[in-house]
Amino acid sequence: MKRMFLAVALTVVLVGGLASAQTARRGGQLRAGLDADPPNLDPHQSTAAVDRQVFQSLFDKLVDLSQDLQIVPMLALSWTISSDAKTYIFKLRPNVVFHDGTPFNAEAVKFNFERMLDPTVAGFPSPRRSEVNLVQKVTVVDPLTVQIDLEKPYSPFLAALSDRAGMMVSPTAARRLGRGFSLEPVGTGPYKFVEKRPQDRVVLERFDRHWDKNAGYVDRITFRPFPDEQARVANLRSGEIDIINIVPATEVAALKTDARLKLLERGGLGYQGIYINVSAPPFNNRALRQAFNATIDRVTLARVVFGDTVTPANGPFPKGVLGYDSGPNSRIPERNLDLARAKLREAGQPNGFTFTLKTGTGRIEQQVAQVLQSMAGEAGIKINIEILEFGTLLSQLDAHRYEAGRLGWSGRPDPDGNIYGFFVTGGGLNNSAYANPQVDTLLDAARILNTADLRRRAYADVLNVLNEDLPYVFLWWPKEYKAFTPKLQGFVHNSDGMLRLRTVWLSP
Amino acid sequence: MATREERLSLAHRPTPAQTVGLRYFLHRYARNRLALVGLWIVTLVIISAALAPIIAPADPAKPDFVNLLQPPTRAHPLGTDDLGRDELSRIIYGARTSLQAGIISVGLALCVGLPLGLISGYFRGQLDNFLMRFTDALLSFPFLVLALAIAAVLGTGLGKAMIAIGIVFTPGFIRLSRAQVLSERERAYVEAARALGAADARIMLRHILPNSLSPVLVQASLSMAVAITFEATLSFLGLGTQPPTPSWGSMLNIAQAYLGTAPGLALWPGLAIFVTVLSLNLVGDGLREVLDPRLR
Amino acid sequence: MTRYIARRLVLTIPVLLLVSIIVFSLINLIPGDPALIMAGPEAGKEAVEALRIQMGLNRPVAVRYLIWLNHLLHGDLGKSVKDGQPVLNILLLKLPVTVELAAVAILISWLIAIPAGVLAAWRRRSVIDYAATTVALAGISIPNFWLGIMLIYFFAVNLRWLPASGYVEPWIDLSRNIKLMIMPAIVLGTALAALVMRLLRSSMLEVMGTEFIRTAHAKGLSDRLVLLKHALKNAMIPVATVMGLQLGGLLGGAVITETIFTVPGIGRLAVESILTRDYPMVQGVVLCSAVAIVFVNFSVDILYSVIDPRIRLVEDKA
Repeated sequence: MKRMFLAVALTVVLVGGLASAQTARRGGQLRAGLDADPPNLDPHQSTAAVDRQVFQSLFDKLVDLSQDLQIVPMLALSWTISSDAKTYIFKLRPNVVFHDGTPFNAEAVKFNFERMLDPTVAGFPSPRRSEVNLVQKVTVVDPLTVQIDLEKPYSPFLAALSDRAGMMVSPTAARRLGRGFSLEPVGTGPYKFVEKRPQDRVVLERFDRHWDKNAGYVDRITFRPFPDEQARVANLRSGEIDIINIVPATEVAALKTDARLKLLERGGLGYQGIYINVSAPPFNNRALRQAFNATIDRVTLARVVFGDTVTPANGPFPKGVLGYDSGPNSRIPERNLDLARAKLREAGQPNGFTFTLKTGTGRIEQQVAQVLQSMAGEAGIKINIEILEFGTLLSQLDAHRYEAGRLGWSGRPDPDGNIYGFFVTGGGLNNSAYANPQVDTLLDAARILNTADLRRRAYADVLNVLNEDLPYVFLWWPKEYKAFTPKLQGFVHNSDGMLRLRTVWLSP
Repeated sequence: MATREERLSLAHRPTPAQTVGLRYFLHRYARNRLALVGLWIVTLVIISAALAPIIAPADPAKPDFVNLLQPPTRAHPLGTDDLGRDELSRIIYGARTSLQAGIISVGLALCVGLPLGLISGYFRGQLDNFLMRFTDALLSFPFLVLALAIAAVLGTGLGKAMIAIGIVFTPGFIRLSRAQVLSERERAYVEAARALGAADARIMLRHILPNSLSPVLVQASLSMAVAITFEATLSFLGLGTQPPTPSWGSMLNIAQAYLGTAPGLALWPGLAIFVTVLSLNLVGDGLREVLDPRLR
Repeated sequence: MTRYIARRLVLTIPVLLLVSIIVFSLINLIPGDPALIMAGPEAGKEAVEALRIQMGLNRPVAVRYLIWLNHLLHGDLGKSVKDGQPVLNILLLKLPVTVELAAVAILISWLIAIPAGVLAAWRRRSVIDYAATTVALAGISIPNFWLGIMLIYFFAVNLRWLPASGYVEPWIDLSRNIKLMIMPAIVLGTALAALVMRLLRSSMLEVMGTEFIRTAHAKGLSDRLVLLKHALKNAMIPVATVMGLQLGGLLGGAVITETIFTVPGIGRLAVESILTRDYPMVQGVVLCSAVAIVFVNFSVDILYSVIDPRIRLVEDKA
């Protein structure tokens, strides 16, 4: 009897505990602090990473990305891929409406692809085009079935649809507004657009007709930009905002021990490092690239500049992304000044050489450049640092007007998005002017291979070559941090760093 | 900063012929205690900038990845910065950057502004008209905003920042030297020289220019103070001096991230700017007091 | 009078034209391809090219200037390349914030500067005078961004009395708005207070030496009355005449202050658009601040000529 009572009591406590942890509460206002002002709220026009933070609440995507980076249903309930990997058939979710009342169906999907692919439909060329340009035909099979035919197999296709390319905009609003859609975005997401005050705030409001009754707990979401990282944290601490998207490295240690705030940590998807222009002196000499690479102590760099809030890297695939354990990707080379000197002798420059490192503005960039400058200096390699505004840096790297350039990649869940365009001959992101037929073949093969193991092996072969050729010096993988008030519940932290606020609620 | 009231007051100053030589000038200047203190400090800053390699205890660009953000110790009297470099050495070398910025940008403004002002005031006419409207236009911009915009056009770097600051100061010098010429050219000795058949260039260089210099000197010392602040501001915003060259402004920019852990990093560079600029202003005020009879 | 205003207007128009030319040429010399910057890192070459044509970057500079000027005269300052919103709308949105900040800064600075200036002039060469002039000189010399950082360190990081940065509209939360405004207003007001105090002191000294004050004394009016009623009133005129200069200083100061304290006003807009190369936005901010200063100078000149008709006569003869 007594034991039974205990068991009952225990059950009550357990169930009660679970219930209080799970009962999502409706209402309240959520204030999110972003690292920049979202410039463009049209997913088909957007080029800034920060826009995606707002899109997560405003739009639904055909598919979403789970915490373990698997593709899961969202607006598409299920899909089949033909055996030649060229035809995708999506079954769409029924009873979905856009914020303006327009029904979401196969026609809407077709329109969205046309808007991304055809400048005459949209009124502008979409930056999404490069992500979906293998799409040959979109066919409406029935109102809730859509068929997409690709020109050739493309394994990262679904991953692309889990991001901006998969976000569905209202055809009615898009036709009416054209380019101006960015000022009045209309999606199917659990939150609808209210207003945007440039460099001040973006306000969203709960959409009552959203299909997911377990989404959209908070009444109102306000996004506010805080480009200054100290200000972002200060405002979180003072309770001005509830959650921030990018946590500065200098604050991670303090936030970890701060009882009044919560800090979540995960591996990120991107990488950071240095582009090397292999088409011009001095780095058209491979031995000089290898000499420079040998002077770098990646572990010290991660500690000094980031206080170990990043992971030293030797490849494009951070932990969690397929390919992490391919070849030299995660084998971090040790600093080796003897090797560096030997390579300098091999290149016929035993006394070292000089090159210019172009980098962006900001404290972290300055610190990284100066640490590398000091490390390389010990082997007689002199680095001149040239700081450029981001846009200028990009255009000079694109035009191959540089020797070495500090620029990284935000990362994609599918490994192809982290490697293909950067190293394939003539690739859109191949700022190194690198050309190697062997690498091209392997990269193309990895796109068609449909088992994880085969792809992993193809990437291992690529990375072995890249590790010798060094068109890009990988330095670190950023970690993903989110800091927020403990009142904020139900947040799902994902490696892509997106603020998925649809499941979030506020405890009183 | 060519302020209106400065120009008005300077127009009334006596020509050097009326004052009695250098010794009298020094005597009068030395009576102003604050101006003297300012002069001593400025001299000290110049000396430490010139002798930086001898005075500084360490290489300002040499990092020490083991000793980051150290508090003051015997080895590092002001501690170490975010990359373990000696803060005191960086402050000392930073004086070089600041003085360079002050001297070169004001020098630039002088080299362009003084001749233009002379010519404009001496020959008058269409050129003068155009130049005056042009300086009116340039003086209508907030100085700092204009300097920022020009620095953005030219790109980052100390040299480019100095050019941007120089451009901003130029119209002030044009206006000032023009005003001097206007009052000088009607004087008897200029008339006399002209009557004796002296060439225009000779009159300008031998007679008008030397007699116009003292207000320009005051203006230059005050402008230098502003120029140093502007360089620090541009570097603070990331548009000025590039690493690893130490600049007080960019040191403050970095220091912001470590306010909680190493507040000293924000204290020393700011204090250095403040003291240098204050001293230059004291010198400028002292000069003005000696050269402007109305304040006696 | 009308003739004088007309004369001043005739002089102002070429200045405004030159201002517009300077603003336009400045922005068109900025390195980096605006179309590429606007399209972003992931855009294809064709998208960039289409954008370049749409932005009119393929036309000659002179034609672009005339088109730009024409739009300008119709109140169209262009659209921000960042998010496509009209520049004018953004400026109008930011203006109240900067106006509030500037108003509080001016209020604080006058509350300090006017009594200090009067006292310093009244008790010339006294301890008060030396203290006031020295503090004023320090106020002019202190770099405002350092002052801001130090205030944040002491009052926000250390003592936790005030929030470090941010902005809330007064009609949403007035007490929080005031707390957030205190430090930025002090930083912005410091240089202004120092400038006004120095100006006031020297113009007070000048006025006090003139005939009519001595006459007032002779008539047996008390010191304080003379000082406040006559001397201060006349001494304020030169302080008011340099309003344009003060406005310029305030706008320059707002750039720094709003950046440090993340106040979403015109100043921070200026810095952000410069750093992100938002051409039309930079043009808009720089142009509007210059036009505002020209306008203020113009109005002050007119007002001044109303107060003191001699100016008009002198200028008319010139």
